[in-house]
Amino acid sequence: MGAFLLKRLAFSVVTLFAVLTLVFVVVRIVPGDPAQVILGDQADAAAIAAMRARLGIDRPLLDQYGSFLSGALIGEWGVSLVTGRPVIREILDVLPWTLELTLVSMVIGAAIGVPIGVWAAVNRNRMPDYVARLGSLLGLSFPPFVSAIMLLIGFALVLRWFPVISANRSTPWAWFQSIMLPAVNLGLIMAAYITRVTRSAMLEVMQEDYVRTARAKGVPWGAIVWRHALRNALIPIVTIVGLYVGILIGNSVLTEIVFNRPGLGKLIIGALNQRDYPMLQGMMVIYTLIVVLVNVATDLTYALVDPRVKLS
Amino acid sequence: MRRTLVWTAIAGALAATPAAAQKTTLTVGMQSQDAGVLDPHINSGTPGKAFLQWMFNGLVRIKPGELSPDFIEPDLAESWTSSPDGKEWTFKLRQGVQCHHDYGEFTAEDAVYSLKRASTKDSSAFSSDYASVDKIEAVDKYTLKITLKEAIPSLLGIVMNYHGGNMVCKKAAEELGKDGFAKKPVGTGPFMFAEYVPQQYAKVVANPKYFRGAPKLKEIVYRFIPSDSSRDLAFQAGEIDMMLGRQEQAWVDRMTAIPGTKVVAMAPAEMSVLHLNMSLPPFNDIRVRQAFAMAIDRNAIWQFRGKGISRPAVSVVPSGYSGTNDQAPLYPYDVAKAKALLAEAGYPNGITVKAIHTTLPGMMSFMEATQALLKKAGITMEIIPVEHPTFHAQIRQDLSQVVHFQAARFPVADVYLTQFFHSRSTVKTPTAVTNFSHCSVADAEIDAARSETDKAKQIALWKTAQEKIVKEVCAVPVNEMLQLWAYKDSLDLGYELKASLNLGPPILETTRFVK
Repeated sequence: MGAFLLKRLAFSVVTLFAVLTLVFVVVRIVPGDPAQVILGDQADAAAIAAMRARLGIDRPLLDQYGSFLSGALIGEWGVSLVTGRPVIREILDVLPWTLELTLVSMVIGAAIGVPIGVWAAVNRNRMPDYVARLGSLLGLSFPPFVSAIMLLIGFALVLRWFPVISANRSTPWAWFQSIMLPAVNLGLIMAAYITRVTRSAMLEVMQEDYVRTARAKGVPWGAIVWRHALRNALIPIVTIVGLYVGILIGNSVLTEIVFNRPGLGKLIIGALNQRDYPMLQGMMVIYTLIVVLVNVATDLTYALVDPRVKLS
Repeated sequence: MRRTLVWTAIAGALAATPAAAQKTTLTVGMQSQDAGVLDPHINSGTPGKAFLQWMFNGLVRIKPGELSPDFIEPDLAESWTSSPDGKEWTFKLRQGVQCHHDYGEFTAEDAVYSLKRASTKDSSAFSSDYASVDKIEAVDKYTLKITLKEAIPSLLGIVMNYHGGNMVCKKAAEELGKDGFAKKPVGTGPFMFAEYVPQQYAKVVANPKYFRGAPKLKEIVYRFIPSDSSRDLAFQAGEIDMMLGRQEQAWVDRMTAIPGTKVVAMAPAEMSVLHLNMSLPPFNDIRVRQAFAMAIDRNAIWQFRGKGISRPAVSVVPSGYSGTNDQAPLYPYDVAKAKALLAEAGYPNGITVKAIHTTLPGMMSFMEATQALLKKAGITMEIIPVEHPTFHAQIRQDLSQVVHFQAARFPVADVYLTQFFHSRSTVKTPTAVTNFSHCSVADAEIDAARSETDKAKQIALWKTAQEKIVKEVCAVPVNEMLQLWAYKDSLDLGYELKASLNLGPPILETTRFVK
């Protein structure tokens, strides 16, 4: 276990270093000048040159790379070129918003996807199965921004159950109201994935010998499905959930924008539009860290749900 | 069914509670996810300018709702005089004006500090506006003297509540430092900075000591809502009271249909101009440039962009600016003549030109419509779409033969003429601004007008400059797009909103909800 963690940690450090370098290079290859963006289109060449010097982006690339790497190591990620606030503060301010959205979406996704997947598997090639498969296909192919607008029109504008501006933590009720629509929007996509994975995993497990044995021994059908089969089918489900945390965080960009929620997605779009180098670099570090950590956590959970997996 | 109704009622009541208490809170929705650096001497973006204007005064201001400098009126200065040669200006300040957050009385010292700050490269994005300023002195506590190296078209334009003319309080700026000040801007305006929540909103509250009287609104919440559809929905749901609109006629029609909504198309209009790079073939031949100009039907573009939200361009300087030549001899739409001119220039089969262009939807649809018009005259315009910051970088590197630039400027002809058509502003030079066409034909008039103190002669020079630029076809002005805002008709702004130089409606001490 210890050796496994160490190995994963070393691997993560290498990954992080590679990502940092890649981001540094890519951010600077993309044309566009942050000084120009900050000063606007009336600034003359001299003013832009002065701003570039102030931002330190007129220094040799290697020099910039050196200070970027050493800064990243000690947690000094610089200040946003656009807002003038420390990058780490900006990220930490909005990170909880994205994490809570991801978490609630996952819970919604699992709560809908697992039972429907099991239901579909148990009723293979019968009406419930067809309905579940069609539902998950719809969920996967429906553009999330369209569903977001539909949810807003239906539940925020017509029914007035939820607010359009979905960012409010003043009371638990306000929090619940503001997170529901965006979380359902993301959760439905997640549910579609989970339904499919659960269905196929269950189908496979249900053909195993021990299920047949249990049936022969007269174990109640419900107990076979939920206690024996699902327990084993959970392994691929956990994997897919783990993998999709990263994807969900990526998907949250659109959801955050349409539902007016703060978050990493909104931050990265703004940073990209304004060529905010330090912010982009900081964001990439955070994204990489999240993905790396989620992968490690997925491996650990794997061992917990399947005793046959050994972490070595 | 009954249960659903009950739930709807409960949820509706819960949701409605905060809205009912909002009579003195104005919530504004902006198409942005941030206001940028909250320093009036740095921020030049629409979201920042619209917001910062509620906190800052200038020495003078343009009457709220108007655009032209002809409407200049006192702000922090009660009166002013200038020497006959226009090089010495003296301002008498109002007494007893208080800086926000108890930073003391605003005096000539603060005004000197503000203008020096605005003219320093390190602390201002607008320093070049102050290049002609020689000395700024406080004669006494309430008197300020500005001495110029040479007379400039509008000194009042650089001491008004716009860009560098915004007056900051010295003690606050020094105490907080440049970065600190940007987090807690301190001015003298009707509203004081209160809170900034990244990606969500910025808030200002009423300044009870405002010299024109305490504002009737208690606070303004400035919400960052980048998605157009979400902003519309939030407005319809009553979560915001005022919003920046999408520059489309369909948006105007849809919003106007919502009961209790007022939609305003206000100046300054952003003018779409096609700059032709005259330094390279085929645009180094005037006949080709003339053909290009004649291939564009300004009326067709006007209809395409929406008659209520745009208007055809009249000159290479937008209409309504001080010094615009309404009679500039723009080339008429004439496809046959355009083809003939191309043939005469040695291109009987037409030409193909390259235009690097931003992917911003509004600007792109204009460009595509223009592309279709040009095609009829045998001009193939290849549009190379790039992302907005890339567009700005590449057009300044002289990489595009045709540059579509859409902009509004300080409404004095000099600014447009200097930035876009003076040879000093030519791209890829050390003094570059936005002269993409390499135009130099009216340098003499532009320079002469700058130091001309006789207003009539100055305007005559500007008009001549415009005639020359139009005749030379350095650029083809096509269309002007107005700024669209919608707000609840229960909001009484306290003036008629026809224009706002700061690109957002001014909110005054008299602004209030009437219902």
